[in-house]
Amino acid sequence: MTIVYKGGAAIRLRGVSRAFDLVPAVRRVDLDVAAGEVVLIRGPNGAGKSTLLRIVATALSPTAGAGQVLGFDLLSERDEIRRRTELVSHRTRLYEDLTALENLRFAAAIHGVDPGRAPDALERVGLAHVARERVRGFSQGMRQRLALARAVLRRPELLLLDEPYAGLDREAQELVDDLVTGARSEGRTVVVVTHGGTRADLASRAVVMRGGRLHSATPAEVALVRRA
Amino acid sequence: MSFLQQALAVAAKDLRIELRGRYAAGVVLPFACTQLIAFGLSLGPGRTLLQATAPALLWLAVLFAAVLAFRGAYEAEGEDGALEGLLLASVDKAAVFVGKAAAVVVQLLALEVVVVMLTAVLFGVVSAGGAVGLAAALELVAAMTLGTVGLAALGSLFGVLTEAARAREAVFPLLILPLTTPVLVAGVRATALVQAGHPEDAASWLGLLLVFDVVFLSAGALLFGHLLED
Repeated sequence: MTIVYKGGAAIRLRGVSRAFDLVPAVRRVDLDVAAGEVVLIRGPNGAGKSTLLRIVATALSPTAGAGQVLGFDLLSERDEIRRRTELVSHRTRLYEDLTALENLRFAAAIHGVDPGRAPDALERVGLAHVARERVRGFSQGMRQRLALARAVLRRPELLLLDEPYAGLDREAQELVDDLVTGARSEGRTVVVVTHGGTRADLASRAVVMRGGRLHSATPAEVALVRRA
Repeated sequence: MSFLQQALAVAAKDLRIELRGRYAAGVVLPFACTQLIAFGLSLGPGRTLLQATAPALLWLAVLFAAVLAFRGAYEAEGEDGALEGLLLASVDKAAVFVGKAAAVVVQLLALEVVVVMLTAVLFGVVSAGGAVGLAAALELVAAMTLGTVGLAALGSLFGVLTEAARAREAVFPLLILPLTTPVLVAGVRATALVQAGHPEDAASWLGLLLVFDVVFLSAGALLFGHLLED
């Protein structure tokens, strides 16, 4: 079932810009994502995709512009957005000296989720056998899986995936696909950011970002092949 | 989850990481002990001078050890964007602050047990005024606890502020050391009075420590969330 948000869209950005030390990373971006949509944002490295995603996740504030995410104002209702959103990126936000299970239980505690769901989430991402091992000994791929387990645990209304396939083996890439497909079937909204090689068929729409600006994707850009 | 449960979750996480990393036991405690021994050696064998300066040296050792402990408390948050995880969580940010400060308090109090005993042995503090009674012991515990809570509140607040700074190792002590002056002065005076056998006169200094705690715990609870933001 698709959720109807205040303002109509799951994400509604108007003229959003962000600069770092006066260097613009995102330039006057307008973006509408309907509830239940899976949107793919493609673009080369340095195009501003991750910055845009982090603005939507409220990890960064825009230097100009306004917007609503899940019906809440991007600037004044950040806590409401955070309660309903999960950002998965190459920064896994894990504690090296905690075990996989402890990391998930802590994530559950600070997100107000039942910690009892943590073992199931680990099982789902194929890390049940290392649940009691410290993250310090994990490979990058295992860390990425554990970050995905956090999204499984939380089942957020809005799932933001920043280069989710990077560093993952084929089995783990299928986990990402399952996560996206599952979210879509439940009417949740997903935004996937990638510089290439993502399954376009999972997305309902693709846009391209270059030089900090969003453009509609050409058919050639949409017709992507699955990564090797 | 209630505020208290959230704070406990953060404190438990920090203490678990500390127990496994052994930063306080492996780095902070040896540092504090080395300082005390160096202070003792530099002052020479004169017993009167050692006893007179013991309260100040004890608190200086605690203060410098605390600065190291604060850095340790934020070390894990800097790994792989964990601090951003706290920012994006729906947890009450004041609970994060209280939890982090509580974990530092536990670590520092454990460290202070060793430091106080070492000071007593090296400088003959216990025998100085014969102040070994229950009232004196309680006053000393109160002074150490109140001082530690204040230091932990200050360190947890400024730790997050300097986390993003490029030269944070240098910026952090520069920011917090001047602000710890009230704790240092009140702690030294209260300890000196206990040592001299007049614990009943230390009440006003304990009051100052309490005011410092209230001010920085309140400031931390109010400001921590804002400091975490981009």
